[in-house]
Amino acid sequence: MANQKAFYFDASSCIGCKACQNACKDKYDLPLGVRWRRVFEYGGGNWLYIDGVETPNNVFKYFVSTACQHCANPVCRDVCPAAAITKRADGIVLIDPDKCIGCRYCQWACPYGAPQFNEETKVMTKCTFCSDLQDQGLKPACVDACVMRCLDIGDYEDLRNKYGSVVGIEPLPTGNITHPSLVITPHKHAEPSGQGTGSILSLPEEV
Amino acid sequence: MNARDWALITFTILVQMSVGSIWVLGVAHFLATRKYGAEEADRLSDRALLALVPVIALGFIASLLHLGNPFNAYRAVTNLGSSWLSREIFFGVIFAVLAFVFALLQWRKIGPTILRTVIAWLAALDGLVLVFSMSNVYMLQAQPAWNSWATPVSFFATTFLLGALAMGAAFVANYAYLQRKKADCAEAQCTLMRGTLRWIAVAAVVLVGLELVVLPIYLASVAGGSAAGLASVKLLTGLFGWLLVLRVILAFVGAGVFAIFLYQNAMSAGHEKMLGNLAYAAFVIVLVAEVLGRVLFYAAHVRIGI
Repeated sequence: MANQKAFYFDASSCIGCKACQNACKDKYDLPLGVRWRRVFEYGGGNWLYIDGVETPNNVFKYFVSTACQHCANPVCRDVCPAAAITKRADGIVLIDPDKCIGCRYCQWACPYGAPQFNEETKVMTKCTFCSDLQDQGLKPACVDACVMRCLDIGDYEDLRNKYGSVVGIEPLPTGNITHPSLVITPHKHAEPSGQGTGSILSLPEEV
Repeated sequence: MNARDWALITFTILVQMSVGSIWVLGVAHFLATRKYGAEEADRLSDRALLALVPVIALGFIASLLHLGNPFNAYRAVTNLGSSWLSREIFFGVIFAVLAFVFALLQWRKIGPTILRTVIAWLAALDGLVLVFSMSNVYMLQAQPAWNSWATPVSFFATTFLLGALAMGAAFVANYAYLQRKKADCAEAQCTLMRGTLRWIAVAAVVLVGLELVVLPIYLASVAGGSAAGLASVKLLTGLFGWLLVLRVILAFVGAGVFAIFLYQNAMSAGHEKMLGNLAYAAFVIVLVAEVLGRVLFYAAHVRIGI
């Protein structure tokens, strides 16, 4: 796609404050359990017991802020039986709540956990890339809320040329399934997707 | 397990059982016609066919219960181009309509035999496409526990195993009914029922053998495939291990041990009462085993990613 909007995330400077997550939740007044943007804490390593002293051994952790990746290959759109999910000319993937039947099939298909069921409206919802703001030339709420300036948006090709082509760091999946419109500057301890030695440290209720 | 999972378990099990039943009825009717003529064959299978109508209806009603917005359910066939779920519903509705029409025409003997035969064939063939579509619904790249050759193999095994044993139970019920009504067809029907049950017993043993062979190969291949796959296998052998063991034992007892007794008792006349009890028991035990298998299917899938 010549024209594809994309998220940029700088994992090397994210401090895990969740301002992005809360800005999103606030703007869309999302109900309990629905988080279009989520911040994962990922870490690993262990402790060695040497001469009666606990010593950290390769202990690491870093944060990954993630939302819908508005993928080049949006499996959610392909599998939706109701044709409720569409991809705009600018690459933004949207769910039409009037067409959604609430079967949650897209939830099974998306490796980013982006489509989430709204128990109040009984249909699937997900990150809209703040298409309303973007249509006015503004940036999404999460991007503007980021205190460390580690979230941004841009044209996918431009972002790749500027920051490189990393999309797969733990706990995110590899990009092979959906080809996400995502560009990441990895944290220095980042582990490649599928080869992680650590685990998600966030409480399940948080993400 | 939430209500939504139970809706899908009910839907997939009942619809698969119905597809298998249509095939078993077709084969039984065909063989019975060759031996005793169309009238005796109809007497064997017509009531069993009619019993399928509420089963299919219940399956589709259950499928609606997992939707957040069932009023939009008609939209479920609007993405046939790329969604296997759309295709599943499409072929499912065709199957239900063909099966209902066939059951009605066959029951009231409306229209020429050839027309009814054609409709029955269409329903049976569409049923195979339906079970194939159902399998593909789950073969998502992000779901290693489902994205396996074992999904279609086990769905088809369930289809024919439950179809065979459900119809076995229906045939003995039909025979008991005919006896109560003192119908003058007892001897031919008795021979037909025993012959059919022997074939059903053989099919059950073969299919449960297939299931038991597939299981360890499946677990090994999924465990070795990815971290999410390994997590699924750990659930199946750890937290849900007791359910898996129970499911295997019940399948072995119902479709193995009971099927062999069924075969032996169907060899000669005079054991009809025993035969009936065995056929009912085998069906109920295997139904529970297959439902448990489907419970595990929905309980132990771990998605790749977050």
